[in-house]
Amino acid sequence: MENEKYKILLVDDDAELCALLSEFLQTDGFAVETLNSGDAAIARLLQSDEFDTVVLDIMMPGMSGLDVLRNVRAKKQTPILMLTGRGDDIDRILGLEMGADDYLAKPCNPRELGARIRAIIRRTQNGNAPTQAVVHAELHGIVLDSGARTALVDNTPLPLTGAEFNALSLLMERVGQTITKQEMTEEVLNRPLEAYDRAMDVHVSRIRQKLSAAGINDVIKSVRGVGYQMLTVPSSSASSGSAHSTPSDQEQ
Amino acid sequence: MRAEVWHSIKHTFGFKRLFWRIFLTFWLASLLVMTATGYVLVSKYTSDEYNQRYFNGVISQAERIVWRYEQDLASGNVPKGKIKDWMNQNVRRRSELIPMSISDNTGRTIYHFRMNKVPQRDRTVKLIYGLSELPYRVETRLPETPRIYKQVLYRFQSLQFVLIFIASALVSALLSWGIVRPINYLGAFSRRYANQQEVATPPKAIMARGDELGDLAADISFMVNKTHQAATTQQQLLHDVSHELRAPLARLQASAAIIEQHTPESRHVKQIHNDCLRMDALIQQILDYSKLEKGTPVPEDCDINALCERIADDMAVNYLGIPLNIECDPNVAISGYEEALHQALENIIGNACKYSAKGELVEVTTKKQHNTVIITVRDHGPGVDSDEIEKLLQPFYRAGNQMHTSGFGLGLSIAKKAIEKHGGTLRMSSPVDGGLKVEMLLPVNQKSTS
Repeated sequence: MENEKYKILLVDDDAELCALLSEFLQTDGFAVETLNSGDAAIARLLQSDEFDTVVLDIMMPGMSGLDVLRNVRAKKQTPILMLTGRGDDIDRILGLEMGADDYLAKPCNPRELGARIRAIIRRTQNGNAPTQAVVHAELHGIVLDSGARTALVDNTPLPLTGAEFNALSLLMERVGQTITKQEMTEEVLNRPLEAYDRAMDVHVSRIRQKLSAAGINDVIKSVRGVGYQMLTVPSSSASSGSAHSTPSDQEQ
Repeated sequence: MRAEVWHSIKHTFGFKRLFWRIFLTFWLASLLVMTATGYVLVSKYTSDEYNQRYFNGVISQAERIVWRYEQDLASGNVPKGKIKDWMNQNVRRRSELIPMSISDNTGRTIYHFRMNKVPQRDRTVKLIYGLSELPYRVETRLPETPRIYKQVLYRFQSLQFVLIFIASALVSALLSWGIVRPINYLGAFSRRYANQQEVATPPKAIMARGDELGDLAADISFMVNKTHQAATTQQQLLHDVSHELRAPLARLQASAAIIEQHTPESRHVKQIHNDCLRMDALIQQILDYSKLEKGTPVPEDCDINALCERIADDMAVNYLGIPLNIECDPNVAISGYEEALHQALENIIGNACKYSAKGELVEVTTKKQHNTVIITVRDHGPGVDSDEIEKLLQPFYRAGNQMHTSGFGLGLSIAKKAIEKHGGTLRMSSPVDGGLKVEMLLPVNQKSTS
């Protein structure tokens, strides 16, 4: 990472903290710009595509991080890492569902922040670079094009985020196998699984919802305490009510 | 159901209740006063009348004897004992004869009946005059004191008395109820505040009584308001302080990380990082704790099994190598507060994992019994001395007083509080084969607990 300067936008209402984190990240090899309010962040993000990752504090007075996320995601796919309160499960889930790429509990060790930013950049940049072999997979009527990074159902593209696409393609590549949450987190999010880590569950839940909206139900099974599995045959017994389930659902 | 009704009846009408004490006191007092008054009146009346009747009897018998004596005297034969026979014939029973002795003005005894054994002090003398206008001395015994209580009881066995009995009972009951009812109401009022933290004022009817109970209601209302204010202020303070502590903590961590960039491998920076983490965890626990104290949200449906499984997933990452076994009763959905339950379960299952060595099984079972869901968490770690179990639930207490191990001793207090918020109970015990067993008993339906 040292040779190329990635550009980070840091949004937090605590100016002192912004200065410190910015100093840290600059020493770590990033180009950092800081903003202290949600409004300013929205304006800046909507007019520019120059940032490789946005670090967004959720708890800001006035325009909150979630508001910023909603506004930006409506128009841009700029990768966003949320900083959430430690106990705020709901904020994390909401953020991930609104299309944030990952989250980190605040206060955090800045080293961890740097690692997360790199993971996101690696993931998103990898997606754009045609390094992976182009795979055309088809299962349950889902057509996956890893070159164009699109998933089609009945020739209609599924609106998947980067992480969701990665998760779906991993599940489809290894159909019939149970993939552990640890492995999925490492493969999809480029980082190790943590305790209280809901990211993978939210992504899978979102994939389920989107597939369900396209008419495909019960193809991804939760294996309690282990992980997820793409079924070769949709389970007919399971209810289709998982469409609005929480990320924590373990319908077994 | 029937047992509950019986319990509530026993609770409302039990012998120890103030209602009965006041009722019985008033009733007994009024009955006693009425009986005593009645007794005095009746006894005076009765004993006067009895004496009168006795002496009338004495005089009428004596007059008949004197009349007979004077007749015999006139006819010339005065046989001794003849009068007695005659008297015997003239009365219906021998017992009607009153003991007396009669003597004429010369001192000669003309009639004597059962007076030998009567002591001098019990004797009394009356003078009567015969037809000849001669005086005769009648000596007889004083009237015995009559058995008045018998007479009084006899008089009390009347309809009037039954009516008095019932009326005084009714009046006492009303009086007693009038005192007890506002007290009961105030009790329920303060209980409601304690359970639901909802501030209300007692109804005007009680506040405007103007008596001591009205004052008490006003005082309770005042106290509830003050308590609520204090509690809210404390909550807010705790919450604000915890939140405000986080910002400098984040800056501290960032600064430490910058120092670390310049001087890597610094032991002290590592120490700062560790302490930042500990402080952050403590702030989180204090926030959790204060959040539980806050007002009660509307209960929602909670799937206990899903919750246990989710926590088990977290534990699998947090505590590698500690097998966790979940045994679920499929029928354990309850209405409650998911976040609070999550905290409780996470703390208890986390403790079980924390105090288990690698390979020691942690068992979580859920079970439904009547209207209670029981979640049991059992570990096979070192366990806790039975005399320490109670103390474990106090905030900031840690078993064996190990001040510098990880954790702050808030976990179980949070769990207890969360369970109590559901109207449930938390039980801990040390099974004989070691380890610690924690049971959480939760009522299925929230609303029935208030």
